[in-house]
Amino acid sequence: MKQKKICLLGGFAVGKTSLVRRLVSGLFSEKYLTTIGVKIDQKMVTIHDHSLLLVLWDLYGDDDYQKVRASYLQGSSGYILVIDGTRPETIDVAIRLHQTARQVVGTVPYVLLLNKHDLAEDWKVDPATLGELSRQACLVAKVSAKTGDGVESAFSALAEAMLNGS
Amino acid sequence: MTASDSFSDSAILQVFDALIFQQSGEGFVCRGELPSWCPPPGARSLTEFHPEVLLTQSFFLQHVIQEAQSWWASDQSGVWKSGLWSEPDVFGEEAVFEAIAVREKDIPYLIIQRFGPDMVPVQPLLQKAREEQLSHRQSLQQHEQREAQLGSQLARSEQERDDVMAVLDRLGLGTILVDATDRITFISRTAQDLLQREASDIIGHSLQTGLPWPKEFSALLHAQEELPDDCRGPASVVLDRKGAPSLSLDIEMRDDPRDPLRKILFLKDVTEVHELRRQLVGQTHFFRLIGKSPAMRAIYEQIQDVAMVDAPVLIQGETGTGKELVARALHEGSPRKDRPFVAVNCAGLTDSLLGSQLFGHKRGAFTGAIQDHEGFFEAADGGTLLLDEIGDMPLPIQTTLLRVLQEGEIIRLGESRPRSVNVRVLAATHQDLQALVQAGRFRSDLLYRIRVARLRLPALRERREDIPLLSMAFLEQGRAAIGKLGIHDIAPTAMQQLLRYPWPGNVRELKAAVEFALIHCRGTNIQPSDLPPEFEESGHPVLSHPSPVAARDERQAIMEALQQVNGRRIQAAKLLGMSRSTFYRRLRELDIPIES
Ligand SMILES: Nc1nc2c(ncn2[C@@H]2O[C@H](COP(=O)(O)OP(=O)(O)OP(=O)(O)O)[C@@H](O)[C@H]2O)c(=O)[nH]1
Ligand SMILES: [Mg+2]
Repeated sequence: MKQKKICLLGGFAVGKTSLVRRLVSGLFSEKYLTTIGVKIDQKMVTIHDHSLLLVLWDLYGDDDYQKVRASYLQGSSGYILVIDGTRPETIDVAIRLHQTARQVVGTVPYVLLLNKHDLAEDWKVDPATLGELSRQACLVAKVSAKTGDGVESAFSALAEAMLNGS
Repeated sequence: MTASDSFSDSAILQVFDALIFQQSGEGFVCRGELPSWCPPPGARSLTEFHPEVLLTQSFFLQHVIQEAQSWWASDQSGVWKSGLWSEPDVFGEEAVFEAIAVREKDIPYLIIQRFGPDMVPVQPLLQKAREEQLSHRQSLQQHEQREAQLGSQLARSEQERDDVMAVLDRLGLGTILVDATDRITFISRTAQDLLQREASDIIGHSLQTGLPWPKEFSALLHAQEELPDDCRGPASVVLDRKGAPSLSLDIEMRDDPRDPLRKILFLKDVTEVHELRRQLVGQTHFFRLIGKSPAMRAIYEQIQDVAMVDAPVLIQGETGTGKELVARALHEGSPRKDRPFVAVNCAGLTDSLLGSQLFGHKRGAFTGAIQDHEGFFEAADGGTLLLDEIGDMPLPIQTTLLRVLQEGEIIRLGESRPRSVNVRVLAATHQDLQALVQAGRFRSDLLYRIRVARLRLPALRERREDIPLLSMAFLEQGRAAIGKLGIHDIAPTAMQQLLRYPWPGNVRELKAAVEFALIHCRGTNIQPSDLPPEFEESGHPVLSHPSPVAARDERQAIMEALQQVNGRRIQAAKLLGMSRSTFYRRLRELDIPIES
């Protein structure tokens, strides 16, 4: 069976772990527990009748305390850039990680997720202002790990893009 | 010593509680004791558990082995660490691991350590740091929101205040705000302009001492502060201002509706109102009438008195004295002022023509009456009709007019249907109507009817003191009309001639004379030579044949002029347009005491 490695990249607390959790177990927790190191999960998906095992590398949030090791990205067939829609400063982190990913794995498909879309009243990020970052993405979506909105389809979109690419 | 000997001391290995692999050929073999966390809860029995399987099943360990291989291949000394990871499906339990690669006597070892949830020392630190960062960010955001809210609130209230100020400024109302301790906290632009002070010079000062008005007025304001809001009236003050005419201000003090201890002062410029009042006293104009002589002022008063009464008025006066202007002033000063004013001259018209002009006619009423015609009475309906030269009105028309006045109805010539009209009739004449009645040329009953109120306009020679004022007014009007704006004065010698002339044609003649002079004048002042020829021919008619009336008038004019300039003779002479020597001569001739 085909396996594909996918890295989740983004600043701290943007909801990477929550998105994976939502996808894998359908759960969500309000409590914030920052991820230490790399958290590996798996998810089986079916794309056009083909089963595909997604190996999800939920990388710790990149910040001044913890820099993501470039070597963790090796072997990725795709990646997910996560932005917290209520915190515009997480865009810069995504841009930086996007550059790192390009250097390590080249141009593999990626999706750009603007998470926490359920917090509409605090929403601060206009997708139209994301420029380059969104132009190259195979999907830009406002999602919510809390409600599950758009989460599964975002992973599917990436899986499909990875399959088409390979 | 064998390779197995190097880590044979199981006691030491146990301290690490780690799973230790040694590279052997293509693969790895497990060394030493299994750690306490092996086998994981998922494994059914100890014998079934092959730790090496981990290396192929764990996605992360596959990555670790790749990385470690290249590290072992390099010459680097020390240890290589994978970093922490968690991978629940392989070990069945959410735990954190770290892999360490070492090389001992050229044999590669891979040590896997497991950390319980509380055993990762960086976790709480990072957790705390990141949570703090999030909460700091949140409070910052709340601050920003609050700030933005306050900012827009402030902008809104500033906008509202500006709007109110703009309205007050437009009304010409200045405002000053005073706090409970009598300090000035605000002064509007208009108030600054009125007081000729900048806000910075005033704000923070006391109301008693900070404003440019006399002490007594400050005391008055202070006394007002003690009064209840509805007992305070406007207080008036006149301020002398640098480089500007003095200013009359009405100042009204009100309690601030939100805090009665604070006061709002409204400043209103009433200079113009005061000026108008002052002008009324020394009036030189009334509607379009010009003159400040006592005779004219008496006329103004009479006009004011009779204007409001809806009765006919008989205006008497020589030709050219301005009877029509009086009629217009009566109309303008009456409630009919927004309705038509129609003037008709009754002189020189035949019975039927004047009759049809006044009352209208039906088509075919007489030869030439080709269509229905509305008369002046109908045209003036609701307004005022001036019958000028009423002494020349033919008797039959007088009869009709009398009936119209009695009944308030007219009948057009050739019709029998009466039409009601609402017209105030004014009549003017230069003739002695009483004499005409005696001569049988004017109906006495009509005379009584039209002279309910009477106004007698003085001849110009009866009010010579108005000649300078009138001629300057005509000069002003005429030079603009003629386009000779360079002419702005009348030479004293020319004025002297104007003052002495008998003016049989009265004001109308004076106006024509000034216009004549304007046309002929080449300089900036009108000279005697610019005046019409009759001035040369007649010489000094008043002087050579002083009529008692004229002499009396001149005497009065000189007396008034002297009074006006507080007895300063040179200035009085100037005022009358006379040379000094003529003035002194006239003083002697008219027996005016020199020391008056
Ligand atoms: N309202 C809302 N909150 C969310 C959503 N996704 C995540 N969160 C909350 O955001 C916080 C961070 O979520 P995580 O999933 O731990 O974020 P992370 O990106 O894995 O963070 P690090 O591991 O520290 O890098 C948690 O308190 C979540 O409950 C979402 O879609 N809506
Ligand atoms: Mg996480």
